[in-house]
Amino acid sequence: MIVEGSVLAIPRANIDTDQIIPARYLTRIDAAGMGVHLFEGMPDGERLLAQHPGASIVVTGENFGCGSSREHAAWALLDRGFKAVIAPSFARIFHENAYTNALVPVIVPQTIVDGLMSARHIAIDVDGETLRADGGEPIPFGLDALRKHFILGGGFLNYLNAKIPAVRAWEAAR
Amino acid sequence: MGRSLFDKVWDAHVIEELPGGNALVFIDLVVAHEITTPPGAIAIEKEFDDILYDPKRIVAMIDHVAPAKDSATALQAHTVRTWAKRQGIRFHDIGDNGICHVIVPERGYVTPGMTVCCGDSHTCTLGAFGAFALGIGTTAQAGAMLAGCLILQRPKVMKVEVTGELQEGATAKDLALTVIATIGFRGGTGYVLEYTGSAIRALTMEQRMTLCNMAIEAGATTGIIAPDATTEAYLAATPEAPNHWVAQRADDDAEYAATVTIDASAIRPVVSWGTNPGECSPIDGAIPFDAPAESLEYMALAPGQAMRSIAIDQAFIGSCTNSRIGDLRAAAAVLRGQRVSVPTIITPGSQAVRRQAEGEGLHDIFQDAGALWTHSSCGPCLGMSMGVLAPGTRCVSSSNRNFPGRMGDGGRVHLAAPAVVAASAILGRIASPSEIEQREAVIA
Repeated sequence: MIVEGSVLAIPRANIDTDQIIPARYLTRIDAAGMGVHLFEGMPDGERLLAQHPGASIVVTGENFGCGSSREHAAWALLDRGFKAVIAPSFARIFHENAYTNALVPVIVPQTIVDGLMSARHIAIDVDGETLRADGGEPIPFGLDALRKHFILGGGFLNYLNAKIPAVRAWEAAR
Repeated sequence: MGRSLFDKVWDAHVIEELPGGNALVFIDLVVAHEITTPPGAIAIEKEFDDILYDPKRIVAMIDHVAPAKDSATALQAHTVRTWAKRQGIRFHDIGDNGICHVIVPERGYVTPGMTVCCGDSHTCTLGAFGAFALGIGTTAQAGAMLAGCLILQRPKVMKVEVTGELQEGATAKDLALTVIATIGFRGGTGYVLEYTGSAIRALTMEQRMTLCNMAIEAGATTGIIAPDATTEAYLAATPEAPNHWVAQRADDDAEYAATVTIDASAIRPVVSWGTNPGECSPIDGAIPFDAPAESLEYMALAPGQAMRSIAIDQAFIGSCTNSRIGDLRAAAAVLRGQRVSVPTIITPGSQAVRRQAEGEGLHDIFQDAGALWTHSSCGPCLGMSMGVLAPGTRCVSSSNRNFPGRMGDGGRVHLAAPAVVAASAILGRIASPSEIEQREAVIA
């Protein structure tokens, strides 16, 4: 599976979920239509998006997605056409939400991220766990061995549903 | 090798080890609310025949927007309400509601050694009871409701030993902010913070909740504190008082991936000046000269500026960090006989807290001071319903997040303890409670 596209670079650390999608938009009972409000909580969010129309890969600094547990952050990115986020680190809950929603979370060192900020096009090989910027040399990264399965099309809830007999047996023996 | 408290709770809940260092972990309690739960509940209804693992292991409530502010939030509340009724799930509707992290402990739903999850990052609050309690996304929460378990990476454990004792004027909020400033805003990522030491033992359950509430603000998976006689006394007084739980604590030779020691006696009241909770200074101090320009630009502040010189436009006391009775008493002690000079919103964390406060006459103190005393909810904390800030205006708040736009587009938030918020509300600038004591009381 290859995920590729043009880049939206946000060269800052700690982009929190309030910036990705403000709480005032968490008023739906489904995941639809969040993309129009993406980055509305970021002081320069709308300008950045306007400068990079059609971008599908975010390249950003450490601790992306910190703060609230709102999965709406992942939903808003996906709804706006983003398929992957590349950063030196993610906040735990956002990281998990990215996997369960098949938004590819790529972790590479800050020095690599710095180089990718000026890339125009990035191609991510999910199976091979490498990425190429502007046709350059492949850069390796690591994905969670289990959660990669969810990115490649294995449904998270179906996976857990299949575990119910084991969970019930464990609980009975508790 | 000795085990930490967290290790013991974790080990007692692992159903099976999974690839990549993951584990399938049994979940004793799922907490649900109207904002993040509906999409997951609907997914289970549509795709899994509406069958939950065990409705008795779920408790639901309306907390973020209570009562609803428009048709959309009314539909969220209605969805949770009808779902809880259909499934036989314990449910706290408006009138009997509150912030989930306030309701769950005060009802006695959480006990030591439990695993708890909720689609809300501040679920770490419940670690105060020696539970492993963590915030998760909507889909993960749906998974826990569907299958009674979560897939989790085993976190590392950081021992945060707080020695000595907090001095007069310093609070659990100041301790929480000091911990974040010490280990760093993302220094807890990948860790559980296991709080120990004499200063932790001396905290009330409410204060322990304030401390654990902000573990997420250091990026930590959660915080956890060993249960003791204080925990036992608190639980015994709850409506659902548990009749059995096992007290566990870390082995004396427990090994930790990291250890931090903080001297509580050195902690002074602090207030945030930046755009994350790690960016704070003593209230008697100034904004550091090495403060990031980006934070200061958003906050419209300058390096070297005295904290107490910062004028404010609004004050808020409430949120899952500081909305319990002890917090309200601390605010009332400052506001008694005074007048606020900026719009001030005081929001109890639950209806039970509200009734207790009113029984003690605190609401009269607040209202005589000119503050708005509201019903219980998350309130203005996340800029979702009431008390939203106008662009460029500044609020001093007892809540937990000062991110850009958190309380409204372009709004600026300073985090502080309730007594500091109360003093600031009176003087219209960031102020210490001691400044109020020095003034002649205004006759209400």
